[in-house]
Amino acid sequence: MHHTSETPRRPSVLHIFKIYYPDLFGGTLTVIRDICASLKDSFSSAVLACSQSAERREIVVNDVPVERVRSFGNVLSLPAAPTYPWRLWRRSAEHDLLALHAPFPLADLVFAFGFGARRPLVVHWHADIVTHAGLRWFIEPLMRRTLRRAKAIIVSDHVLVDNTPLLREFEDKCHVVPFGIDTSGYDWPKIEPHHVNDRGRLVLACGRLVPYKGFDVLIRAAASHNFETWIIGEGAERPRLEQLIQELGLGDRVRLLGSVNDCERIKLMCLADVFVMPSVTNAETFGLVQLEAMAAGRPVVNTALDTAVPRVARHGMEAITVPPGDAEKLGEAIDTLIRDPERRRRMGLAARTRTLSRYSATAFKQGMETVYRNAVAASSEERPATAEPPQATGWLDTVRIAAALAWSDMRHRYVRSLLGPFWMSLQMAIVVVVLGSVIGQMSNTSMLARLPMLALSMTAWTFLNGVVLDATTALQNSASLIRDRALPPVIFLLQCTFRQALFALHNACVPLLLWLIFSPHDLSHALAALPGLLLFVACTFALSLVLGAMATRYRDLKPIIESTLMLAFLASPVIWSSDMINHRSTVMRLNPLTHLFAVWREPLAGGAVDPVSIVYVLVALALLVFASALTLVHLRKAAFWI
Amino acid sequence: MVRVTLRNVCLDYPLYGAYDFSLKRRLLGHLIREPGEMRTIRAVDNVTIEAEAGSRIGLAGPNGSGKSTLLRLIAGVYPPSSGSIALQGNVVPLLGLNAGVNLDFVAEDNIALLLRISGRKPTRAVIDEIWAFTELEPRMQRLPLRMFSSGMLMRVLFATATAFPADILLLDEWLSVVDEHFAEKAQERLLNMVSQAAIVIIASHDQPLLRRTCTSIINLDHGRIASTVTVEPPATHPFELKRA
Repeated sequence: MHHTSETPRRPSVLHIFKIYYPDLFGGTLTVIRDICASLKDSFSSAVLACSQSAERREIVVNDVPVERVRSFGNVLSLPAAPTYPWRLWRRSAEHDLLALHAPFPLADLVFAFGFGARRPLVVHWHADIVTHAGLRWFIEPLMRRTLRRAKAIIVSDHVLVDNTPLLREFEDKCHVVPFGIDTSGYDWPKIEPHHVNDRGRLVLACGRLVPYKGFDVLIRAAASHNFETWIIGEGAERPRLEQLIQELGLGDRVRLLGSVNDCERIKLMCLADVFVMPSVTNAETFGLVQLEAMAAGRPVVNTALDTAVPRVARHGMEAITVPPGDAEKLGEAIDTLIRDPERRRRMGLAARTRTLSRYSATAFKQGMETVYRNAVAASSEERPATAEPPQATGWLDTVRIAAALAWSDMRHRYVRSLLGPFWMSLQMAIVVVVLGSVIGQMSNTSMLARLPMLALSMTAWTFLNGVVLDATTALQNSASLIRDRALPPVIFLLQCTFRQALFALHNACVPLLLWLIFSPHDLSHALAALPGLLLFVACTFALSLVLGAMATRYRDLKPIIESTLMLAFLASPVIWSSDMINHRSTVMRLNPLTHLFAVWREPLAGGAVDPVSIVYVLVALALLVFASALTLVHLRKAAFWI
Repeated sequence: MVRVTLRNVCLDYPLYGAYDFSLKRRLLGHLIREPGEMRTIRAVDNVTIEAEAGSRIGLAGPNGSGKSTLLRLIAGVYPPSSGSIALQGNVVPLLGLNAGVNLDFVAEDNIALLLRISGRKPTRAVIDEIWAFTELEPRMQRLPLRMFSSGMLMRVLFATATAFPADILLLDEWLSVVDEHFAEKAQERLLNMVSQAAIVIIASHDQPLLRRTCTSIINLDHGRIASTVTVEPPATHPFELKRA
């Protein structure tokens, strides 16, 4: 404890991955653990992962605090952990650097929404997505966004950059840091690294029992040759592999050892005669286990993948490389080594030498430390830009300017005509009268009593329609103010609501007159309708904000919005009321506009609002507010669109 | 303390083609696996500027060298792609000529609206003072701006924009439009603003104008700073300066 108080505070790193010890063992986890351990003097590490176990959430693994977010199983290879995004967002604020271990689309999703954007991000590219390739169209844009905002991308070998199109886009950010291994742990006292068992026929493989590891290929290879195969690891493939062993009658020669602790694994590596890595897809990017086997001085048989695998242990030098998935070639290669102890010895020594010279733990540590340090330093330089946006116009100013602009718009209507916006009110009055008479014909109720409500609904609809339509062009029309006066774009979306509200006040004289003429004058209901009316306006504004921004970014949305509004007008109880038609109509109940009108119209008519309507509107508002918040983040880029 | 600090600022300007504005096209592009790659151009490349109170910086360079874009970056219109921008003081960006002007409105109303946009309360006294600076006839206040000549319009806009002292004033191709007499007066007013502890950054093709008004001139080329020239303080007319 007093160690940290003497030295300046170590920057803290949050490692983000889907799973961590002790739930699983594997190459990626070894890398995370090694990073945490080797950088412990310069960085304090923490891990945020998911776990299906219901045990304690906060645990400590090898001195590293690990938060395990509860997951309810896996969906498409991803943990179903609904609270993970929330925890990631909260935790990201506590750390100086985020280290995402890709692929992990759940985290990409969080970053795509702009959460955690304040913190520098380093992406460890462990592998590309190979399974569920059908979802690539959805995942890839997310990953691209993550990579775009990353300060650095760490890969284990340059060949990954060359062979991954997505990484090639960000080539200048990629740093090659080959994994390192501490060879001292492999100096098994009783067995010298160059020790070779002349009659040895023990073949070892190690890895999670998942399809891409290709253990089935190895088992099939064992069938036609006379060597013993031990496979370390656990996983979902186990039943299938066991069945395969049984079918081939290899029960006495092929053993699945299950999970084995580190010490035991090293011992087995030293005992084995040949180490095999039969992986079949590019999901195997490096093959940390083959590096461990090399540290133990074992010759390797690996597969010719497009990744670093055949480059870590090279064909003819430390390994024999065979085509992936080819059981016959694999068997032959293993057999060649089994039959030639001298070659095994030579390869084993070469392997040991290569680990020491090319994949040392020191070089790995230095490489990682440099990348991390630069990422933290680069972001602390940029911090002022994000912390304090230039000329932050206050909210009050925004509203004030929007109001001034809207007021000026309204006055503009009066410039050339005496009536100004009342021309529109007049037009609306005519529409109301005509519609009212038509509807009066259709239904048998008194038409005159309905007229005020009809006029009011029309006013409200004109408002909503006008706000949304204006918003789709507002930003383009105010391009000069945005670009030349540096006004925040949101002003002009707010201006639409204000302007249409002013017009609506003009239009409101029509229902007011009708009400004075045709209705018993009862004011008490008006007050009850006020909260609903506020909800209506709030929803309208939020909707215009989202659609306005989107229609500016994507110009082809405007005609779609126009026709949708027309459709909505016909499908919603604006000119007709819900009691005129079948109450239980599904379309009507699902239409949010029905409820948006109901929340203020019902109390105005003296009735009570259906709680369903209130819930419906509140949920819609919550969604819209969320979407608006996202929109506001993206509106910073609006100047590029106009 | 008024200050403008740009450190290693870069801006990658996205080039939206006709198709990039189409949502349908974009969604379709995802389905047919078309590489929907966004083309960008580096409009501002690694620019570092440090300006303290009293600096008048001129930005020179050919068309498309990034002068206006740099001003907009400082104004906060565009978010920088990398690097940092730190501003202390209130910024008044006057980059376009007609921003926020409604030609149907009378001059007076336009002035009032422009003042409101920049967050000031338009009072009678303020408007009269602005009008006095334009040296136009008082009755023209009641005419719609549509009837003004471009030079007269410029006078009104300049007078309005500079009516209040700004900490940081950003100008883009502004003074070249007005006639000589007014240009002199405008320059005087700018110098006056500078004397009130302000930073002025002007982008212009007009080298003599930059030499007259600026303390240093930054030559831009393809978004990079090609050279920085320090201008000798103008030795002519020191007395006129005092009068302002």
